[in-house]
Amino acid sequence: MSVVTVVRRAVLWVPDWPVVAAMTEAGLGADAPAAVLHGRGLVAVSAAARSAGVRRGSTRRLAQRACPELVILPHDEGRDSRRFEAVAAAAEQVVSGVEITRPGLLAIPADGAARFHGSEEALAEALVGAVAEQAGVECAVGAADGLLAAVLAARSSELVPAGASRDYLAPAPIDSLALAAMERVQRTEVDRLASVLTRLGIMTLGDLAALPFADVLARFGPVGVWAHRLASGEDLAPPVLRRSEEDIAVEHVFEDPAERIEQLTHAAAVAAASLDQALLDAGVRCGRVRITARTEKGEELERVWRTDVGTRAGAFARHMTDRVRWQLEGWLSGTAGGGEKGGEAPAPSGLVSLGLVAEDVVPLGAEQAYLWGGTSGADSRAHRALERVQGLLGLEGVLAVAEQGGRSPRDRVHAAPWGQEASPARAVAHPWPGRIPDPPPATVPPVARPALVLDAGGSPVTISRRLAVSAPPTWVRLEAEASDERARAANRHPSSGHVGHVEGPVWDRPRPVESWAGPWPVSERWWSEDASRRAYVQVALRDGEDEVTAVLLAYGGGAWALEAVYD
Amino acid sequence: METAEARLARAREALAGVQRRVGTTRERWEAPALPLAPMLDQVMPQGLRRGQVVSVVGSTSLMLALAAAASEEGSWTAAVGMPSLGVVAAARRGLDLARLALMPHPGAQAATVAGACVDGMDVVLLGPRLALSDADRRRLASRARERGSVILAEGPWTGAHVALTAVASRWHGLGAGDGRLRGRELTVRVEERRGGLARLVTLPIEGASVGVAPVRRGAEAPSMSLRALGGAA
Repeated sequence: MSVVTVVRRAVLWVPDWPVVAAMTEAGLGADAPAAVLHGRGLVAVSAAARSAGVRRGSTRRLAQRACPELVILPHDEGRDSRRFEAVAAAAEQVVSGVEITRPGLLAIPADGAARFHGSEEALAEALVGAVAEQAGVECAVGAADGLLAAVLAARSSELVPAGASRDYLAPAPIDSLALAAMERVQRTEVDRLASVLTRLGIMTLGDLAALPFADVLARFGPVGVWAHRLASGEDLAPPVLRRSEEDIAVEHVFEDPAERIEQLTHAAAVAAASLDQALLDAGVRCGRVRITARTEKGEELERVWRTDVGTRAGAFARHMTDRVRWQLEGWLSGTAGGGEKGGEAPAPSGLVSLGLVAEDVVPLGAEQAYLWGGTSGADSRAHRALERVQGLLGLEGVLAVAEQGGRSPRDRVHAAPWGQEASPARAVAHPWPGRIPDPPPATVPPVARPALVLDAGGSPVTISRRLAVSAPPTWVRLEAEASDERARAANRHPSSGHVGHVEGPVWDRPRPVESWAGPWPVSERWWSEDASRRAYVQVALRDGEDEVTAVLLAYGGGAWALEAVYD
Repeated sequence: METAEARLARAREALAGVQRRVGTTRERWEAPALPLAPMLDQVMPQGLRRGQVVSVVGSTSLMLALAAAASEEGSWTAAVGMPSLGVVAAARRGLDLARLALMPHPGAQAATVAGACVDGMDVVLLGPRLALSDADRRRLASRARERGSVILAEGPWTGAHVALTAVASRWHGLGAGDGRLRGRELTVRVEERRGGLARLVTLPIEGASVGVAPVRRGAEAPSMSLRALGGAA
């Protein structure tokens, strides 16, 4: 950890940000008693609720006893940071660069901004005014040297004179270190440190700062060093400023809602070409393109596509035209899911507007390169080949696959068109109890194939709801290969039980079961429409002297299905 | 009287001289090889040479095992016409899914699609039911030789450099209603276009013993005597 020169900062603090954000989203007035609940305790309480006696950290039941009309809102970190964008944008009207240290807290390097506005008081006034006016949120501003002093100053709306931070911090209780912790993990560590220090009799930041630095490092490690630096009014890192930049985007509005693919082909070409031109004018290239569309019904559809084609000689425009057209066709025909949530495919309806936004923008000539030399030739060769094949076969012709969480071998694969950004629906890291154990099968048919499992007497084996197997499986019949004439002939023969009309699958010859394991019950998603309740069985089938084929069979709804082959 | 060794040495020298003069050496064939899992050393002692066509009959796991080490080292892999490829199995074998593209249903465009993949990718897996004529196959093979990619074809392929057929497979770990699949031994018949000998190799393709050296079984094909006579004919 290197020593950083202390930066004079102004800190803008919105009290009880999580509850303010939640109330805005829920459409509650600022004077309603509300609180945000996370886990078992309240994490933020609105001013009205606090005056009614609700405290941070208390349980839901205690809080409702103190204030029966309390509105309890769910915790959502995404919402907190999303809503805070408006506050940051308002602050950016006053100063040129701000650092969002965490939702609810903005840090601004004060020197230049204060000189511009005349004094720090004027800067603070301008900030409070802009945020109240444009974001509709009450906030407090303070300024001091060093992060912790500035945060404390903001909480009491004070301006600490330059060089006085150490004295300002000295009487503050040791718990206030937690205010400078930005992440939850860091926060628990700091809380633990504060409780140890309190038990050692170190009650204020002044006491901590008075301790020898080397001893603090030896006793408390990196957390101790962090706390000691902050308590002495020093800084850990200079503020990381964000700069707001205009997106490079184009929009195309259809005169009539587009319902036919021919209408879209032209629109896609025009939009792609104008995005290409916009990128060229800005002297940049992009790594991803976000395609958005609005339907007649007012639905917002959105998809992100990766691209690594430069804007040379219209190659980018041609490349993007195809992708935009595919995406629009997918939306029109209702086969491609819309939105980030990847939920239900929207019902087909006309499109009224189309937008393209360039993301991951880098200046031309500053493309990310490999450690040694430029981008690998093999990689770009492969990308070109895949693009060519995708041009031949269409969007779904080339698939990129990823592993995802799931229990059956088929559920564990996530496939998406090559180049489209889609994240797997289920996390692999989750435990997935009841997952079919490894080794994974090398052949997994896209849909389960019918199978017959027979006992020694030739009657079908069934598995009861309590997982009792009616008889040990002895014979298994799978579907015959389409080219297997012998099986077809046998199936047509009257001895197979058919007379005249033949329907249903053509069965291969029965194969004896050598050994088997199971049944393993899997009951999934019982709450939803695609609920499944199955029992899996691994079976080794004897084909010859030494030849054993292992298959994974599933029993559900009174029938057996071939789920996978371990070949 | 000259000994046989001395005559052999002289003959080799003369052959080397001719090769130098004409400009064709056998090294032309010794194209750089893609990395191969140590488990398969016995199956393909000369490695997975670029430009080869390897046909695999009867085992998708074996195909994946052949492609795995190369993919791990940075090669690109395409699987054409294999809609039921077990992706999780591929990942477990070591294929890098970020560099794997699936073209499950090329349909009537199979030849064009496979050609584009041979041009751009290092390893191309071809499924068994692709609409490829014999002429298409020959064209693909020569294209692979030219571009230095490897074709792993499921099902028989006339003129393949190496033909691998799974002839026997044993699983262990299953009981009568208990246990689970744990390990598998696969016996592969290896036929090489050059050399003309067929060998049987047993390898532990699945399970805890994957790292153990494979057992070579003594079931030599009848052409063994020819091989001793003809050297590296």
